[in-house]
Amino acid sequence: MLFNSFVFMLIFLPVTLVGYFFFNGLRLTMAARVWLLFASLFFYGWWDIRYLPLIMGSILFNYTIGGLLAEAHLPRKKAVSQNAIFITGLAVNILLLVWFKYMDFFVTTVNGVAHTSLPLMRIVLPLGISFFTITQIAFLVDAKEGLVEERDFLNYALFVTFFPHLLAGPILHHKEMMPQFDRLRNKVVGWRNIYLGLILFFIGLFKKVLIADQFATWATPGFDTATSLNFFEAWLASLSYTFQLYFDFSGYSDMAIGIGWMFSIQLPVNFNSPYKACSIIDFWKRWHITLTNFVTTYLYTPILRSFGRITFGVSLSAIFLSMLISGFWHGAGWTFILWGGMHGVALAVNHLWIKRKMKMPRLLAWLITFNFVNLAFVFFRARSLQSAIKVVEGMSGANGIILHKSLRQVNFLKMLGVKFDKAWLDGINGSDRAWVYSLLALIFVVFCKNSIQLIDSVKLDWKHFAFLLILAFCGLININQVSEFLYFQF
Amino acid sequence: MITLELLEPIFREVFDNPDIVLNRGMSSDDIDNWDSLTHMNLVVAIELRFKVKFALGELKMLKNVGEMLDLINRKMAR
Repeated sequence: MLFNSFVFMLIFLPVTLVGYFFFNGLRLTMAARVWLLFASLFFYGWWDIRYLPLIMGSILFNYTIGGLLAEAHLPRKKAVSQNAIFITGLAVNILLLVWFKYMDFFVTTVNGVAHTSLPLMRIVLPLGISFFTITQIAFLVDAKEGLVEERDFLNYALFVTFFPHLLAGPILHHKEMMPQFDRLRNKVVGWRNIYLGLILFFIGLFKKVLIADQFATWATPGFDTATSLNFFEAWLASLSYTFQLYFDFSGYSDMAIGIGWMFSIQLPVNFNSPYKACSIIDFWKRWHITLTNFVTTYLYTPILRSFGRITFGVSLSAIFLSMLISGFWHGAGWTFILWGGMHGVALAVNHLWIKRKMKMPRLLAWLITFNFVNLAFVFFRARSLQSAIKVVEGMSGANGIILHKSLRQVNFLKMLGVKFDKAWLDGINGSDRAWVYSLLALIFVVFCKNSIQLIDSVKLDWKHFAFLLILAFCGLININQVSEFLYFQF
Repeated sequence: MITLELLEPIFREVFDNPDIVLNRGMSSDDIDNWDSLTHMNLVVAIELRFKVKFALGELKMLKNVGEMLDLINRKMAR
């Protein structure tokens, strides 16, 4: 079930919310939590009921292993077995992910290298598996290190399945989530929370259906169908995807956080105006923040430790490796590994820059950062390396620069070798709207407040209530076709 | 018992600043480049120097010198 569908907004969400506070109102807090768990599993099963046993099995398995690890901290138990339990737990999670997500990638790679023709498995990727696997791996690591105190099964199952975050994050930490399902003040209807949650939800819906889905109409043909792209087509295709991804994913995160608020559950913020960043280090503090936190804590630090010494070079290598793995986590393909690698190198250069105490004008720093992020997203988006190269080739100007024929009279452009054609943006199915919207989006993401900052200034007055109604109206009438969120595929 | 004086050289090396003088109340706001990544470098450098091991999940919460010192001493006392 998608957040941007009528069945979710008009039936599932209100029924779940009313049921949750109804049981809590009767002081049947256990029933309320069971209700929320049932609703979350129903939400997951709506997509494909066959995968329900998978997520339930994963939860039961990890809860059991986590329990064994936590108990192993008691003095009378042997520490030897703890490592074996942990490695088994870790291996099962990784194997599950490999089986469902990476099998065909490995088969294709083996076929390519060894010239074999092993058949592809064509396994359907269960929704959210990348997310519920890594949150549970973090739980196992913490259990092993003695940080798991809360052991309530219902709270654990809710922490993993709570439907707002289940499919695409924000990536949660059990320590910040599990206690929230127990807190008493979270169990009474908070009208202010519901009001603010609704506003954030509809801001997210607006971002998704009015902005992201619009940019998709230019990015998709540019990347997937065009055989070659001229200069402006290629730039607009790449920029369209850069904006589509941001508005899609941050819109989803806004909706998730908003729904969380309606249940008086606080989910962590995932975006903080990433395209305002003036360095790659800064970008990763603003983009998919919960993933950055996860990667720094559970990937970068163990890699750093494994080197057994800290030097600048070791730190840079650990950054590069972490980004490479993080890229591969996003998707089973060389393009994702390349994307991770590009960011790894860029982060290393950025750290070197700081170490040398070098400076750069702010505007230039922003320009380089934004363009690098945009270029790297070409590899993130493209279905194959060839398709990425096609876009980059177009962006370099190798296929010529074409402008609309109405500009034919401008001699200066002619002298630069620009050609003119009525169909100058046909490769991306675009018209003038493509560049106008891209320009507006750029101004918007660089100069405007983001949704989380915006919500801070919301008051309970008629002006803001009208704002909510307009947002909701615009979002709802534009759901003519339900489109999936981009991060569902990762 | 680990003291501020023993921590100082590690801070100076990790943050590449020989002028750092520590006090218990100092946090990431007071030291240039103390971000989540250099924080992890700092923590691993402390682990190696004092032969203690932190749990990964508790690292993010440690952003104040005093808290860090107390945790190191608790770990060393075990």
